[in-house]
Amino acid sequence: MGNFVEGLVNAKLRNMKEMKNVYEVGHVTKVKDYILEVTGLENVGFYERVVISNYSVGYVTSIKKNCVMVAVLQRANAIYVGDEVVTTGFDFCGMYSRAAIGHIVDIFGNDRLLNEKFDACRPLPIETDPIPIMERGTVNRPLYTGIAGIDLIYPIGFGQRQLIIGDKKSGKTQIALDTIVNQKDKNVLCIYVAINKTKKNVKELYDNLMKKGAMEYTLIFASFSEDEPPIAYFTPYMALSVAELYMREGQDVLVILDDLKSHANIHREISLLTGKVPGRDAYPPDIFYTHSRMLEKGCQHKDGGSITILPIVETKGGDITDYISTNIISITDGQLVLSRKNFEKGQKPAIDYTLSVSRLGGAVQDKDMKKLGAKVRQRFLSYLETREVYELANTDEMSYDMQMRLKEGRRIEERLAQYKFSPRNKNEIIHMFEEALEGEA
Amino acid sequence: MDTCIGKIISISELNVQILLNGEKVKFHDILSTEHKGKKMYFEVTEEDGNMVAAVPFQSVIGLKKGVDVYKTDSSLSIQYSDEILGKVFDSYGNLIDDSHIEQEHRKDVYGRNLTMEEINVNGGILWTGIKILDFFAPMRKGFKMGLLGGAGVGKTVLIKELIHNVYTGLNSNSVFVGVGERSREGRELYDEMQEADLLDKMAIVFGQMGENSAARSKAVFSGLTLAEYLRDEKNQDVLLFVDNIYRYVQANSELNAELSRVPIENGYPANIATSVADVEERINSTEKGSITSFQAIYIPADDITDEAVQVISSHLDGQIVLDRKVAEKGLYPAVDVFQTSSKMIDIENVGERHYRLVEEVLRYYARYRDLEEIIAVLGIEELSMADARIFYRTRKLRNYFTQPMFVAENFTGIPGQFVDIDDVLQDVEDILNGRYDDVDEAKFLYIGKFGGE
Repeated sequence: MGNFVEGLVNAKLRNMKEMKNVYEVGHVTKVKDYILEVTGLENVGFYERVVISNYSVGYVTSIKKNCVMVAVLQRANAIYVGDEVVTTGFDFCGMYSRAAIGHIVDIFGNDRLLNEKFDACRPLPIETDPIPIMERGTVNRPLYTGIAGIDLIYPIGFGQRQLIIGDKKSGKTQIALDTIVNQKDKNVLCIYVAINKTKKNVKELYDNLMKKGAMEYTLIFASFSEDEPPIAYFTPYMALSVAELYMREGQDVLVILDDLKSHANIHREISLLTGKVPGRDAYPPDIFYTHSRMLEKGCQHKDGGSITILPIVETKGGDITDYISTNIISITDGQLVLSRKNFEKGQKPAIDYTLSVSRLGGAVQDKDMKKLGAKVRQRFLSYLETREVYELANTDEMSYDMQMRLKEGRRIEERLAQYKFSPRNKNEIIHMFEEALEGEA
Repeated sequence: MDTCIGKIISISELNVQILLNGEKVKFHDILSTEHKGKKMYFEVTEEDGNMVAAVPFQSVIGLKKGVDVYKTDSSLSIQYSDEILGKVFDSYGNLIDDSHIEQEHRKDVYGRNLTMEEINVNGGILWTGIKILDFFAPMRKGFKMGLLGGAGVGKTVLIKELIHNVYTGLNSNSVFVGVGERSREGRELYDEMQEADLLDKMAIVFGQMGENSAARSKAVFSGLTLAEYLRDEKNQDVLLFVDNIYRYVQANSELNAELSRVPIENGYPANIATSVADVEERINSTEKGSITSFQAIYIPADDITDEAVQVISSHLDGQIVLDRKVAEKGLYPAVDVFQTSSKMIDIENVGERHYRLVEEVLRYYARYRDLEEIIAVLGIEELSMADARIFYRTRKLRNYFTQPMFVAENFTGIPGQFVDIDDVLQDVEDILNGRYDDVDEAKFLYIGKFGGE
């Protein structure tokens, strides 16, 4: 640490001697919400951090022939046309301190609960280069959520990106929380990212995790709906940058992104405000890349560490085929679809087993789970389909085989119901479902 | 020594404008500059008087106005020799697998299209061993087959199964182009090819989804150049896999927006048809060699009328459409048989028996679709004898056309099956004739051939 500070001081001194500490000053010529047009900054770099009228902070989003565009990140007081804008000579970076684990933080290294900056904050680039294909390893270690419907039927492995998608109030966040709580004593660092949430929401979540003793190994990255929109835009990238830092040290990291639909909307807002051409549903054409480069950080590194990402997307009316949902589904390694209808029927977790997918499937299960899981999945899906077709048929007239299949399906269905925060471990799951299967097992 | 051609005067994420000092540059020229101690490259996309717009290949964070820009003496190029086999390239033709090339011999990636005279349209029939494909959409050498599907309905698994089945059967070299797809899958493909000892017969180009729009829009050109090498210089029957061609159009839309050009519906660039033709017209066969291509096509928002999907599919000889409704029922490959088609389905190409069976099966499927609605209201007991027969037999057919995949064995736990077309025709005929009317429909799920067991 001492070396680091010394290095910083020396670099500053060196710059002063070379007259590099003379920063440019420009002036605001246009204010459009949090997007400013500034003239007079000829030597500013793309993405450079700038200070507006002494206190507010922004960064350069584009450099034009006669002016530069600046997005405001922290607004100390009102910004007027004519205000001074000073360059800093640094690329815009997030701040992160290793002391932050167990706390609610923002991208500037502040503790949001106590409203103070952490000690020993270090700058961390918000976005890093993509992780090369050849640095990746095989995703094959199971990450247990404790939920039978997931661990057995649509499993998640370290390094996988598994989308949780569903309507409001269908239990999306609960699945993420269950997963975090189930990582206790398993040496997994959990990062929960709140994108554009209310303070109350985040506080409740924090309390919940605190009660379960899960905050010891959890970090909450929060952006609130009252923050400047660019902060909400950057928060998930920053969280993944932190995750990458730990992954490269060999740590397993689990990241929850709650939720990417809000993130897409924020990105649309910023893009339209800066005059970009709109595409489908008025989202900018780079909306796919916005999320693909974010979720591509999820990986099993060949040197041991991993980043598992569970992004959350909210749908309307149970429609998972809208633009943003399908975009994200096409990036992730599978999706858990939660159905409002199931939720209302009392089936919890309200997983829609017909629409959910895991592209990795058995590859991330151990031998016993894989064998049983494949059997249960196939029979249960065939049960759900058969049930639908023969809904009106007379059960007594059915063939014996068919009756048995329906009964078996019902037994599986009963065993998939599970109350929140009541995890089942692998052996329990195997025992329960072997019982459910007809005859053989 | 590269010549200085001007200075940067404006910068945004994917568009850098350069004020020229009188030097001439042209479309597709590669420019370079020094940035953070490294060389950074751009490609010219637009010229306007003494200004040019260029798309940067790397991140422009920290780049400043007034920086000198140089012209390099080449345009975008990739290795053009036998050394491409077993190697993995990025979109710009650089090796990314820690290997190296002994003798550099590069070629411009923007090649020429074939003339009408050169194009050969006759090729032998090519069986894939996948029941539903061989039955409804058979293909031949030099064929362009599209695999259309929304997100998460099984496009990539099918592509991998095709690599596994066709490739091992045809015994020639192949090229895989990953465009805007998952890096994890790229890595898996590489590992699987290595394990199967197929890697040294294959050349791979990756411009995956974590890369910027420039990379994703160039990967397919680099890949095409490799396939053309194998066809033109080695006279081979080449297999070209593109996963996913839609991402090429998507990357172009992103670049188009950065250049502030007016888009058409859904934000696609106005030149969408031209840019697709630039790629598709190069995928053709000659007297000496052929390129048989499988192209995965993503369907955004499950909307098959999407402009990009339509433009791409107009170039295809056949298409396999994967449908979410079929996937929901757990029937994989989740093929929608009504939308799936092939130019090969006529009596001249596949013979009378095959042709008639396809017609009959489609008739059964169509009636089944109607019956499903009737049953939803009246229940199954109200069907007439003839309809009930169609209903039960179609359910058996549907189950029969599922298939365990070699490449999904890890996922399903069931070993893959390669099924001969003659067995498929026989089984289908038997089901239609009622030979298996007493057999439980579940017995037809995820098997190879049924008869003779």
